[in-house]
Amino acid sequence: MLAELLLIPGPAPCQEEVASSIRRYKEHEVSTGFYEEYEARPRHQRPFVGVPGVRRGLFPYSPSAASVRSRIRLADSHRAIKFYWGRRCEDCHITETRDIHTTRANLTCRQCHGGEPIASIEHYYSPLNPIRKHAYVCAKCHEGASASYSSYIVHQPPPGSLATRKSFPVLFYAYWLMIVLLAGTLAFFIPHSILVGLRELFRKRGKAKK
Amino acid sequence: MTQTTRIKRFSTLERLFHLFLMLTFLIQAATGFGRFFITTSWGKSLTSIFGGYETTALIHHWVGVIMIIGFLLHILYLITRIKWKGFGKSIFGPDSLVPNLQDVRHLWQKVLWFFGLGSPPRFDRWTYWEKFDYWAVFWGLPLLAITGLMLIYPMVASRIVPGWALNVAALLHRAEAILATAYIFMIHFFIGHLRPSSFPMNEGMFSGSITIEEAMEEKPAWVERIKKDGNLELAMAKPPARWYRGVYFIFGYSALAFGVYLLINGIAYSRYIRLH
Repeated sequence: MLAELLLIPGPAPCQEEVASSIRRYKEHEVSTGFYEEYEARPRHQRPFVGVPGVRRGLFPYSPSAASVRSRIRLADSHRAIKFYWGRRCEDCHITETRDIHTTRANLTCRQCHGGEPIASIEHYYSPLNPIRKHAYVCAKCHEGASASYSSYIVHQPPPGSLATRKSFPVLFYAYWLMIVLLAGTLAFFIPHSILVGLRELFRKRGKAKK
Repeated sequence: MTQTTRIKRFSTLERLFHLFLMLTFLIQAATGFGRFFITTSWGKSLTSIFGGYETTALIHHWVGVIMIIGFLLHILYLITRIKWKGFGKSIFGPDSLVPNLQDVRHLWQKVLWFFGLGSPPRFDRWTYWEKFDYWAVFWGLPLLAITGLMLIYPMVASRIVPGWALNVAALLHRAEAILATAYIFMIHFFIGHLRPSSFPMNEGMFSGSITIEEAMEEKPAWVERIKKDGNLELAMAKPPARWYRGVYFIFGYSALAFGVYLLINGIAYSRYIRLH
């Protein structure tokens, strides 16, 4: 025991000594049980097994499961993206940089999503996980933010698109209701006004002649 | 202006409601557009009039609250206007702004008249577009009020409704504001100012009265009804004072110019912002 204590180095440096980040990630996967879907290949379809909060129809896995990739539960959501170090957030997340939070409050991505490695928002320890987002992120500026409050969709999808009909139906229908109302009102009243104007103009002329 | 018989159209209180709505609406439109377009140069200059983004928001919130109070007062006023004895007639009669089948008939006659296929409809006190004007504000204001209050007090609102309802509230608030401003700055201003029979200005809402000739031409059924009831003497009104006419002409045209300014810039700069 004395020899062991004297000859074998302490445990701390050993833990950091890994061959690559990929390897570290795999170890992380094994220890936490979080896998990317394509890594955990199901032998046959499991139609009612899905990722909570994400709907992909009745059959969430393709038969081969090869094309299914989900990044919503990773500790490093950008893992294995080529040349990630040389890219900027807005290279890929274009629409996300045009939100009210970024264009008006001038927030940067990192102010909410944190530093590298940026965890997926569904990852259990992510500050943006809905179980703690209100306290860890929203409340930094919005004092007293509740869990309900933090369900505000910061990266609001384009409300008119068909994808929004699935992901945020209330917004989709509210948008199209208002569009129909606006278009309908103007489609009725602009020609109406023009016709009233023209008709009265000609009536006035006729009266003046009399 | 020559001395002609004038017929009373709006009471002082009704005109005050309109004036109140004009002022608050224009302030809300300017402050709202300023914030909506804040990422553009126009939005920045517009908000700088009010003292920057934060102050503009504060003004928008306060004037919004004042508008809500005005709306509630208007509801109280409406209750006093209902004649409880003849309730049905009071609600669906010709003096009421509630739409009825007669309006549908008038609209159809108007369309026929557009194309020279019939005589113009004989309107009573309110034409169908005037009723539309009224009800557009009547449902638009509570919608803006509720969504606006949700956005002023998001913490309180998210206790009652889920937080994602704020996305919907913001969308509805903007869409309704765009609808209201587009309607007022295009249709309502056209009807009130540019329509040949009311050019240069339909003065009834400011002076409170219109000439009997105008009333006969625009609303023959109304004048006839007053005559039949023998109320013509009661409905007589004095012509507006010269100075007062000057004041409301300047005021009305300033409002028109400001509205058109907001509308044109709003359309021009809408390319540079995300509309939702």
